[in-house]
Amino acid sequence: MNPVSRGIRNAFRNGIRTASIILILGLSIGLSLTMLVAQKAVDNKIKSVKSSIGNTITIAPAGFNPGSSANNALTTSQLKKVQALAHVSSVEETLSDRLPTTGSSMPSFGGRSSSESSSTTSLSSPTTLNFGSGSRGGHFFINGGAASGTAPTTFSLPVSFLGTTDPGTVDDATLTLKSGTVISGTSNTDTALISGKMASKNNLKVGSTFTAYDTKLTVAGIFSTSNQAAQGTVVLSLPALQRLSGQSGAVTSATATVDSLDNLSSVTSAIKKTLGSSADVTSAEEQADSTVAPLNSVKTVSTFSLIGAVLAGAVIILLTMIMIVRERKKEIGVVKAIGGSNLRIISEFMVESLTLAILGAIVGLLIGVIGGQPVTKMLVNNSTSTPSSSSSVQTMGFQRAGGGSFGGDFGGQRSAVATNRPAGGFGGRVRSNGAVKSLSNIKAQVGWSILLEGFGAAVLIAVVGSALSAAMISRVRPSIVMRAE
Amino acid sequence: MLEVKNLVKTFQSGDTKVAATNDISFKVPDGQFASIVGRSGSGKTTLLSLLGALDKPTSGSIVVGDKDVTRMRDHELITYRGRSIGFVFQSYNLVPSLTALENVMLPMEFAKVPKQERIERAKALLLEVGLAEDQMERKPGRLSGGQQQRVAIARALANRPKLILADEPTGNLDSTTGKMIFDLLHTLSRKENTTIVVVTHDLEIAGKTDKVFQLDDGKLVLTK
Repeated sequence: MNPVSRGIRNAFRNGIRTASIILILGLSIGLSLTMLVAQKAVDNKIKSVKSSIGNTITIAPAGFNPGSSANNALTTSQLKKVQALAHVSSVEETLSDRLPTTGSSMPSFGGRSSSESSSTTSLSSPTTLNFGSGSRGGHFFINGGAASGTAPTTFSLPVSFLGTTDPGTVDDATLTLKSGTVISGTSNTDTALISGKMASKNNLKVGSTFTAYDTKLTVAGIFSTSNQAAQGTVVLSLPALQRLSGQSGAVTSATATVDSLDNLSSVTSAIKKTLGSSADVTSAEEQADSTVAPLNSVKTVSTFSLIGAVLAGAVIILLTMIMIVRERKKEIGVVKAIGGSNLRIISEFMVESLTLAILGAIVGLLIGVIGGQPVTKMLVNNSTSTPSSSSSVQTMGFQRAGGGSFGGDFGGQRSAVATNRPAGGFGGRVRSNGAVKSLSNIKAQVGWSILLEGFGAAVLIAVVGSALSAAMISRVRPSIVMRAE
Repeated sequence: MLEVKNLVKTFQSGDTKVAATNDISFKVPDGQFASIVGRSGSGKTTLLSLLGALDKPTSGSIVVGDKDVTRMRDHELITYRGRSIGFVFQSYNLVPSLTALENVMLPMEFAKVPKQERIERAKALLLEVGLAEDQMERKPGRLSGGQQQRVAIARALANRPKLILADEPTGNLDSTTGKMIFDLLHTLSRKENTTIVVVTHDLEIAGKTDKVFQLDDGKLVLTK
């Protein structure tokens, strides 16, 4: 009988003990596998989040507050310096504004002045709000910015105007042209793109005109998009909106595209250096890091748990094997006395240890397969719902900004608002909430690689666990057989 | 031929050294049956451990055939013990997880004897020591003391050793079974021309051997 078959047979000498060890070891290996599954799932999610964000850098005025009229916009000349930096392939600049509909009354809000602009537009927003009736004459709650007041009967939402160097995109949503032509982002003509919903609401078609900023604007094209914010936005070229709104050279947000992901970090630093304290510069990488921060904490927890579980398994095997060696000390002496070598005896014990570990791994595998997905979900959900997590901070940041932007709209405030940037607005909302939802939507799978790693861990546990017993075996002297019982 | 010269084994006991064997010299020719008698603590077991290369002497030499056991390295001793020595212990010391047949096959496995040959020889030896064929697949726990000692004797003979060392082989057996086991050892030593050294406190058994040595406080005296 070779050492392998003897080792396997020895593992079953004491049935109850073997079953107990396999069960305990199975729990330990199962926990290891569960943590391994969680770690892999989180790793994949982090990679997917990071790879989906791309090589862009967001630039916004420093300390931008969408609800305030005291914001300092960036300037086109500042962004030209950014464009001139090495590895910057393009810079998309935008200017946002909102105008109330001509004849629309504004609701009054506690503590907020609401009559800064005299400019209006003939357009009505395609977005409608349903007001509840009550003693306060209607109330609404928008994204954390609680606003209560009296809603006038002639009230309609203000219309967003976006001046952009890239009229093909609004709020990170690509526009699909249904009719007409695309306007140039650098032209300075009184032409605009509107959504199909906006066109329908205002009975407009390509070539129709509407007024804004006391100027007659022509509909150059009608687009479709699934983005609700974009549906209520009139898209103009950047120079046109700068001229019409009287904000010459002003830019409320910009997105720089870098030629390669490898240069993202260095270009971000260069832009920060160029713009100094006048701008908040956030790279896609930083956004991704911020988004996946809760996942990183899950990864850390799962890594430590994995190490802990593997060590626990190793200690279980170690103590078991020490106990077995002590029990069989005389038997080891007998085998040595009749010609058995240390190597041969140690091999048998290692096979025995390995048998226990592999059987434990099979039990652990079942636990891992059953527990992997729910444990991963629980870890991720707990982590992403923690108030102190950066993801939540991001969401709250949006809510504040979103609330502010609506307040500004209702007050008829003419302010530059970055509607499609993380500083606030619809785009920020869609992106950050989506990111958190997307983080929770994590899929844990037990693939072959995890199975192999699980068995690898079991083998490691067996080897580590039997190392000390091997040392003990080599120290057993064959003369022990001569001792009386 | 077993030849022991000036064998000394000392142990440290507190501040003093105790000589378990004190300058022992003796010879046992091939095929002879020798016994060592002595009271408890006289050093009998220590002497047997040294003869069986289970322990190393402080000084002196033990020559079995033409090999000085005391000069062998550890890995040589493993081979030497496996192929040249057979042990029979008072408490049998069979491996409990193996059957009687597997226990007898074990030393042959260590000596790399082919499997089929191992099986055939083990069966032949077990039959020779009087174990019925249906008992060969039994584990030691299901055999009587006398049957276990028969298996131990078969195991000791497995590799056709030059020397068999038996430590109180009848100590745990009733007198009838003990006598049977002793006779079995005697017969087999004659048949296989194996030298046997048996440690016993039973003077009646010792009287039946070719040579009798008396061990007293580490000193050995030939009495027969």
